[in-house]
Amino acid sequence: MAASPSRTVFVAISLALTVWLWGLGGTLFLLRWHSVERPIPIRDLFPYGEMRVGVDASYPPFAVATATDIFGLDIDLARALGQELDIPVRFVNLGFDGLYDALRTDQVDVLISALLVDPARRGAVIYSPPYYNAGLVLVTDANSIIENMRDLPGHRLALEFGSQAQTEAERWLRRIHAFDILPYELPEYALDAARLGEADAALTDRITASFYLQQHPNWDARLTQVTNVPFAIATRADRPDRAAAINHALETLIAEGILAEIIARYL
Amino acid sequence: MHDRLILRYLRRHWRWGVRGVIAVWLLNALVPASPRALLGPPQTVETQHPLVCVHTRLVEEVDEWKIQRSLQLVREMGADTIVEFFPWAYVEHTKDEYDWSNVDRIIRHARNQGIHIIARMGLVPSWARSDTDDEFSTLNTLHERSYDDFAEFVADFAARYAGVIDHIIIWNEPNLAFEWGYRQVDPEGYVRLLQAVYAPAHAANPNVVILAAPLAPTLEPPGSPAGLNDVLYLQAVYEAGGAEYFDALAMHTYGFTEPPNAPAGENALNFRRAELLREVMERYGDGDTPVFITETGWNDNPRWTKAVTPSERILYTIDAFRLAEAEWDWLDKLCLWVFRYPVSTYNYPDNFTLVTPDFQLKPIYYAVQAYARGFPTSETLWLPPPVEPSSSQ
Repeated sequence: MAASPSRTVFVAISLALTVWLWGLGGTLFLLRWHSVERPIPIRDLFPYGEMRVGVDASYPPFAVATATDIFGLDIDLARALGQELDIPVRFVNLGFDGLYDALRTDQVDVLISALLVDPARRGAVIYSPPYYNAGLVLVTDANSIIENMRDLPGHRLALEFGSQAQTEAERWLRRIHAFDILPYELPEYALDAARLGEADAALTDRITASFYLQQHPNWDARLTQVTNVPFAIATRADRPDRAAAINHALETLIAEGILAEIIARYL
Repeated sequence: MHDRLILRYLRRHWRWGVRGVIAVWLLNALVPASPRALLGPPQTVETQHPLVCVHTRLVEEVDEWKIQRSLQLVREMGADTIVEFFPWAYVEHTKDEYDWSNVDRIIRHARNQGIHIIARMGLVPSWARSDTDDEFSTLNTLHERSYDDFAEFVADFAARYAGVIDHIIIWNEPNLAFEWGYRQVDPEGYVRLLQAVYAPAHAANPNVVILAAPLAPTLEPPGSPAGLNDVLYLQAVYEAGGAEYFDALAMHTYGFTEPPNAPAGENALNFRRAELLREVMERYGDGDTPVFITETGWNDNPRWTKAVTPSERILYTIDAFRLAEAEWDWLDKLCLWVFRYPVSTYNYPDNFTLVTPDFQLKPIYYAVQAYARGFPTSETLWLPPPVEPSSSQ
């Protein structure tokens, strides 16, 4: 008994649909399979079996070398990254002039050396997200009416003579109404002036202000960021996989509060 | 049909097209024109202390007006001489094809401001290097087989600018592995470089003064992969017969954390270390050879371990000029590192500058200007430290 034509058509369509669905499913599976990022083996990221960290260890509290030791915020950060990536860390102490050349010539895998993001190097270098902002901060009493640089006209601003703070203050003097600049020999004196009421505010870099506030815990001070000086980790632009791994590890350190702990250790 | 529709549309709306063109033209007219760098009347430098000199970084400058502005400020500061780097790789990018335009414009403006130039040579073009597995190279790698190419460039430079630039420094800090292309430093090899350059340069310009490279102040011992102690290196240059191939010696001496009068010592890196190099010259009977200190100064970065405070930097710098004038009769020029960078280095080297990239003059600029030009200065530059209430009672 021959099958009816409608049944044959039904079976054919069902078969075709089945094949098409399997094909679609397979294609989607393959697309998804290839779109998933898989961790690159750590040995491929660091072919020397260690993370060689270029550092200019003459820059406390970020990196300092003694005859037998190397320590600082950058050093602890590098070690924490190494732990996160499960790779041993070796430090290569270099002068600042040689840092980027050492990276370019594969003498180091990564630079962790209080490096400012330099836009001119972006073609050759990948920077991580900033791990510290060392820019200038306006330091006032917590209850001061001065909340930012625009509130300064008519007030007294203490700063270190000849410093970046003076250059920045003079820049602001061209933008807003006059305020008095009180120059001191040291930034700590400028902060003393703000704390003791000899000045209404002080302008220093964040690192100096942080050190100072550690020494004067009873001063209820407010810090307002004035300029941005972001420190970041640099890797070679032709190793985006390595940069991605570093960035991922750094994000983990930030999320888990480990970076904040390291910073608090020194600043 | 389609064309007819377009024509009809254009006929109906052409006025808007004209208005649009006028609006774009007006907006374009609102954009400020780039500052021009026309030469003004020739200037002369007024100075009471001709020892004052400064190292500039003009060759990387894109805008010509910034070169002009920098040199105006150098003149107004009272420095009649600059040291400037003229990289071989920038001029002879392709072998035997020279592009002098960048050098020309720096020289044009320097002459207009009445400023002399000491030229520093270096930086190897890619065609004169090779990157093979056996021969790794950087921009500072000059293999001996390329010495004659470099000598030819120096001779061409000397000939082209004869009478305008008569002082040429051959290389920079060859006692550092970094400056020697990350190779083991080699004083004898450096002497062979001087030898290759000396005769062709003098043939090209009989008045040229070839300066042997300034050495980086360092205590690196023999065999160190990073470099070699500058005093030992200079001795090795003399031992290799280098004195025959230079007319003057360039030096680098930095104060780091010590004041300028801190005594020199074998293991001390400070301003007076130049005296140790001078002793080597005299020991080898080369005491009549002039000396140019082409880099000196202090850094006032807040955290660099080799830096001082901005106020100390000013005091030390002025005292260094006074000391050199009073005690170093063998010195022709004392050049501060560095006048200004075209862009920020984004690290402590920015704190060697006298002027910011956006032409803000730092207090040290005014201090050097007051010294060089004999301007009166204020007795006190900063306020006394605030006094804690408890300690004042």
